[in-house]
Amino acid sequence: MKRVSVLLLILTLFLTVKGQVIFDRPLSPRVTGYDIRGSLNTSGHTVSGEMMAWWVNTSSVAVPDAMLHMYLNAFSSTKTSFAGSGHWSAAGDEGWGWIKIRSITDSNGSDLSSLMKFISPDDGNIYDKTVLQIMLLQPVAPGDTLRLNISFESKLPSPIVRTGFAGDFYFVAQWFPKFGVYETAGMRQRESDGWNCHQFHPNSEFYANHSVYNVSMTMPSDYVAGSGGVMIEETDNGDSTKKVVWRAEDIVDFAWTAWPGYKVVTDKWRGVDIILLTTKNGLKISDKQIEAVKFGLEYLDANVGSYPWPHLTFVDPPVTGAGAGGMEYTTLFTSSGAGMVPGFLKMPEMVTIHEFGHAYFMGILASNEFEEPWLDEGVNSYWEQRIVDHYYGDGYGMVRLPFLKASDTDLGRSSYITSPSRSVATNDLPSWMYPHGTYGMMSYQKTAVWLHTLEGIIGTETMNNVFREYYRRWSFRHPSGRDFIAVVNEVVRREHGNRLGDDMNWYFDQVLYGSGTCDYKVLNVSNSRITGYSGIIEGDTVTFARSDRKADTLYKASIRIERSGEVMLPVEVLVGFDDGDEVMEYWDGKAKYRDFEYEGTRKVSWAKIDPENKIDMDVNRINNSWGRDDDFPASRRMMTKYVTLIQLLISMITI
Amino acid sequence: MKLLSILRKGAVKSALSYKLLITMWIITLVMILFVAMPLKLGLKMIFSKSFAADRLLNGFDIGLTGDMGPAFGNLLASATYGGFLLLIAGFLLYTFFAGGLFARFTTAYGSFKVSSFLKSSAHNFITYLGIGIIMFLVIVVWAVVIIGIPAGITSAVTDDPLSVITVSKVMVYIWALGLPLWFLVADHSRIWVASTGTRKVFKALGAGFASLRVRFITSYLAVLIIFIVNLIFLWLIITFTASSIPEKGLWIFLFFIATQVMFILRLFLKVWRYATVSELALPSGEGQ
Repeated sequence: MKRVSVLLLILTLFLTVKGQVIFDRPLSPRVTGYDIRGSLNTSGHTVSGEMMAWWVNTSSVAVPDAMLHMYLNAFSSTKTSFAGSGHWSAAGDEGWGWIKIRSITDSNGSDLSSLMKFISPDDGNIYDKTVLQIMLLQPVAPGDTLRLNISFESKLPSPIVRTGFAGDFYFVAQWFPKFGVYETAGMRQRESDGWNCHQFHPNSEFYANHSVYNVSMTMPSDYVAGSGGVMIEETDNGDSTKKVVWRAEDIVDFAWTAWPGYKVVTDKWRGVDIILLTTKNGLKISDKQIEAVKFGLEYLDANVGSYPWPHLTFVDPPVTGAGAGGMEYTTLFTSSGAGMVPGFLKMPEMVTIHEFGHAYFMGILASNEFEEPWLDEGVNSYWEQRIVDHYYGDGYGMVRLPFLKASDTDLGRSSYITSPSRSVATNDLPSWMYPHGTYGMMSYQKTAVWLHTLEGIIGTETMNNVFREYYRRWSFRHPSGRDFIAVVNEVVRREHGNRLGDDMNWYFDQVLYGSGTCDYKVLNVSNSRITGYSGIIEGDTVTFARSDRKADTLYKASIRIERSGEVMLPVEVLVGFDDGDEVMEYWDGKAKYRDFEYEGTRKVSWAKIDPENKIDMDVNRINNSWGRDDDFPASRRMMTKYVTLIQLLISMITI
Repeated sequence: MKLLSILRKGAVKSALSYKLLITMWIITLVMILFVAMPLKLGLKMIFSKSFAADRLLNGFDIGLTGDMGPAFGNLLASATYGGFLLLIAGFLLYTFFAGGLFARFTTAYGSFKVSSFLKSSAHNFITYLGIGIIMFLVIVVWAVVIIGIPAGITSAVTDDPLSVITVSKVMVYIWALGLPLWFLVADHSRIWVASTGTRKVFKALGAGFASLRVRFITSYLAVLIIFIVNLIFLWLIITFTASSIPEKGLWIFLFFIATQVMFILRLFLKVWRYATVSELALPSGEGQ
């Protein structure tokens, strides 16, 4: 008995040490965890696994059921909510994907398989089997832990969309049964307790608890593997296979990848070990990719908060597996490009920075991407644009050629302002409710545009403070959009008083919960001469004498600014006079139009609305100003280039 | 030495045809301006007196295209379709000019006036057009056979797009090495038409192919050298034109002058080949 006790003590100590390999103190409440032993079958493209998953009931009520994501079933037919939208079709019979639970028991060993049923809480699609509800034999009491022992088999889809295989390349995401989030009343303004577990949609895929993962995976020996966890050990099994063991803490999803062709590049930023898994061709730009991720780390660390994990792995997938590119799994993310993008185009760097940024907004803050995609993708796009333009050049962060340039911010803004559907919906819809073709423009770009505008209104430093406070207050706590707005209101009031109103709700009501557009324009500029008359009335005779000596000529100068959009924002108007003087005018932007009038000896030469381009929401900046000289040298230069180009082409196509 | 001597003679002949080159340049420029001027005006109208135009001063800012709205799409479409029409018109025009140029290098004796040049151009136009179109198609088919088929086969047997790109790159070089052959056939055919006065396209092409046997190595090397020089010069013009962003009026005017001088030089280099092949094709003493 004593020997058994000693063994138990040693085992407990071992498990304790193993359980604390990354953080001494958990970053998150850790209400869920997963211990998975699996193996990759490269001939059948399956992963079979044995899993013990646990969930702690942190609510004050007994919970009678559990809900699990079964997201690989999105690839099981063309009628699922994911595939049915035309986003995916199988590449032949081998291409279908699915996940099957072979057995499921609770901690007492009771079989729960007969108590499982698929539900479709979002759209009622009976063919969608991506959410599984399990009625438990006994409700989980408050404070108790539900333990499920699950044997599952996952067939990976092809072609890859986020997850799957392409030849011998595997990107394995959404591959195991994963708990939904049990939300308590008050959380994210929720009225009553309940599971929040959404189907797998084409446009969003993340809302989950921060969890602990112990994953052991057997795979062919020649495969190079990486994941969102820290590699604990890699052992050769002696039968042409190897076992890789990873541990991850406080992340919302665990994905991994394996491919014999991977080249591994390692680096370090402060205390963070960076691993890049790339292709032979991708090695050519590995320095740039590593540099990009360091830019992301540095900028977000300085302006939002610290990156808490000591590890980070990212993947530049091969061209054949490009469908895995541009995805985020917190401490693992995928870039794109594979070394095939010309250097002047910072697309791979942009994707790297964007996907890394999700570590903050999807990973640390972990908002509900399904219900409020703007809070993840939009906020992240805003920061991506700031980072790209900061490090690669303001005005040419994305494209930098002697004759062509584009900033990341402007490209994002163009996507919004040129969309004919920019006003068809509000910006707060759940991901699957956006009108067809508008999700990306609305969730990513419109949000980024109005966040840039907010930055213009409240100032960059206040904006940074908003995010610092948002990060400090809501890290690992699943905030909602309302929570974010509350932080904005608080910080803006603290730093600006009531200069911008009692709160900023007036702003969010228009840009987030409204669908209007913003357009201010200079409607008219005029300088009319004031003629001076003096009159004498003598009896019935009225005599006027006109006095218009040139030196004393008076002008009535007027500028009319029009608000032609629905969105009302405070605007600045800079007015230039012919004597070189400049006057900055301020307008609350609420009326349909506003006249600025000046009387004096000088004329208005020009006028510029929003001279510092703070209002990115303005859908047309060309009409924001008036008064440029008629000379248009750029047009002459462009014409010369056009003429020369056509001349050369003619001379080339003629034998 | 013989090769260099022939190249030198061709260059001299080409240079002595400067009046014809300038005629070609003026006509080409006027033709293109018919499309380019309205485009310039369109751009001016979009911006009117807006200061947003300043963002175009230092290179074209793609971010502005959104603010330009549908007008940008219209302008781009006009530039593209206008450019396409100009290419068709240019193809016809340069085929026309080739008639005069080959006449100049084969049958003309003494001074060759611009009027004679245009007359000869008109005389040979239909036949040259036939030769031009057929040889253009031959070169396209040559590209399909040499580049397209190997690339297609590679893409069918491998999933790796890099392999397809590598194979395509190698085959582009092979394709380019074959181009001087087709140029020689085209030039010999046209020389045959100019010197015999016959207007039969296929007979001319037959004569062109038959002429390949005569002084093949020298001819091939001469055309290859001219081809490479032309390529290098084209790269120079394109790089210069694309990367120059003059912002002020005088500099833009000088930029225009520079590009046009370069284009005239490009015409000289193109005509250098006509003159050189003519020199190679004709018995010594003819065509002076």
